[in-house]
Amino acid sequence: MIHGRRHRVLVYAGAFLLLLFSVVPVLWIGFSSILPENAILSFPPDWLSYGLTLDNYNYIFTGEIPTSHEVTGQMRTMISQEVRRVPRTVFNSAVIAFGVMLINLIAGSLAAYPYARLQFPGRAITFFYITLSRLVPPVALAIPYYIIVQRLGLLDTYWSLILIYSVLTLPFTILILTLYFRGIPKEVEEAAQLDGCNVYQLLYRIVIPLALPSLIGTGLFAFMLSYSEFLFGLLITQSIKTRTLPVLLGSVAWNPDVTWGLLSASIFIGIIPTLLLIVPVWRYMVQGLTSGAFQ
Amino acid sequence: MSPILPPGFVGLKNYAAVVTSSYFLGAVQNTLVFTVVSVPIIVVLGIASASILNQRFLGDIVLKPIVLLPWTIPAAISGVIWKGMFSDSWGAINAVLYSLHLIPKYIPWLNKPNLAMFAVIVAQVWTQLPFAIVLTLAAMQAIPQVLYESAAIDGASAWGRFRHITLPNIRAMLVIVILYETLMGLTTFDLTYSLTGGGPGTSTTLISYFTWAESFKMLSFGRGAALAIVIALTSLIFILGILQAMPKDALLGEGQE
Repeated sequence: MIHGRRHRVLVYAGAFLLLLFSVVPVLWIGFSSILPENAILSFPPDWLSYGLTLDNYNYIFTGEIPTSHEVTGQMRTMISQEVRRVPRTVFNSAVIAFGVMLINLIAGSLAAYPYARLQFPGRAITFFYITLSRLVPPVALAIPYYIIVQRLGLLDTYWSLILIYSVLTLPFTILILTLYFRGIPKEVEEAAQLDGCNVYQLLYRIVIPLALPSLIGTGLFAFMLSYSEFLFGLLITQSIKTRTLPVLLGSVAWNPDVTWGLLSASIFIGIIPTLLLIVPVWRYMVQGLTSGAFQ
Repeated sequence: MSPILPPGFVGLKNYAAVVTSSYFLGAVQNTLVFTVVSVPIIVVLGIASASILNQRFLGDIVLKPIVLLPWTIPAAISGVIWKGMFSDSWGAINAVLYSLHLIPKYIPWLNKPNLAMFAVIVAQVWTQLPFAIVLTLAAMQAIPQVLYESAAIDGASAWGRFRHITLPNIRAMLVIVILYETLMGLTTFDLTYSLTGGGPGTSTTLISYFTWAESFKMLSFGRGAALAIVIALTSLIFILGILQAMPKDALLGEGQE
């Protein structure tokens, strides 16, 4: 392509703005989590003269009261135990998300393969029903799901959320895996069949190893969606036994006793798992999407 | 489905009660404003960002995963992040604008109805942009490079190439993005829950939040269910639209050999 100099400048300026817009809020969270309370509340704003502190993290993990809460003149003497539950909710969210990921990989590949390779009655209609069902707004499903879970006696259990999130994530997994399986050359499978593979051996020995990148991608995707989900978490979890991270933070944010420093430290702890997943998600999910799955 | 009241068939009473309440109409109006403003911004910024990421430049490999960042953060948490950004007494936006002498005093972003709606829209754009970028970029990368080369030989300007080659080729994907983002806008819940809690007053109460509050705060399952049906039917229109916009055999590959 031919580029003028002005064009170059525009591209770099745009890229820089995009970078700022994407990272600044998160950087600010990270930064304000290590600022003492005085620095955050200073007016005119002066974030740099008060030094840095790990007090907020220290309180969340060990329960040691931040020094700024003992300094007089700070007005805030109250502090909430609620943020100390963050590590537990990260654990809960991760366990649930991991369970959903496993179900997605097993049930998803078993469902996608027939859609990719076999002809059977109702193939098109069931496929569209499955993939489009995800677009029904969750709030429209809230009451029925709540009643079902309640009648099954599964309120406040990991299982209820794992099952609900599986229902919410499987459509997407099946869609992507079907597209991917379809892209595997048929000849490879035919050769394996000639060598005496039955359909299950075919799936587990040939197709799945070949489709590994897309399995990793969809698995991560299911993990992230489950880790992030809020509405059903809010409805189903009733105690710290199963409370998920977004639900806890959504409520802590309205707690007047929690300082911004504690809140931003909580947020930062909570999003570390998702930050770690960004590069793998790009590599296995988006790159596949942007390099021709839709062509 | 109240646990206390005896069951009985009420016909369309729940629908009538819901649809005529001024809170409902307010929520509908808020949702429309929210969606109609945020979707075009998301789509335009999505196209602009994807056009940039579709070029080669120093650091493009690093920037691509980074733009996913807002998407990877749970929306309920994004709401909290932007609540801090927009805070009226110590928020980053006030602090920065004030330090640059752009505002004489701190602005109470989340305490004025219009400003709060503005804040919610900014946060929505932030969380939804990555998805729009990824889909738009996917469509752009599927355009044969040859088209651009021959256009360049014919002396087409950058804008001309965008208008006559890029835009027609990504149109189908843009329709999908627009419909999807509209659906997301109409059903936003997590973000406003933690960012504004629907306030100040009811100025950022969107229809999903309203439905949730009606069902689980007021414990009026009947009205909540009526609202849920209204939402589901409305979104069905968009779902059918998305289906219509998809290339016919893109998903299932009909007519396999």
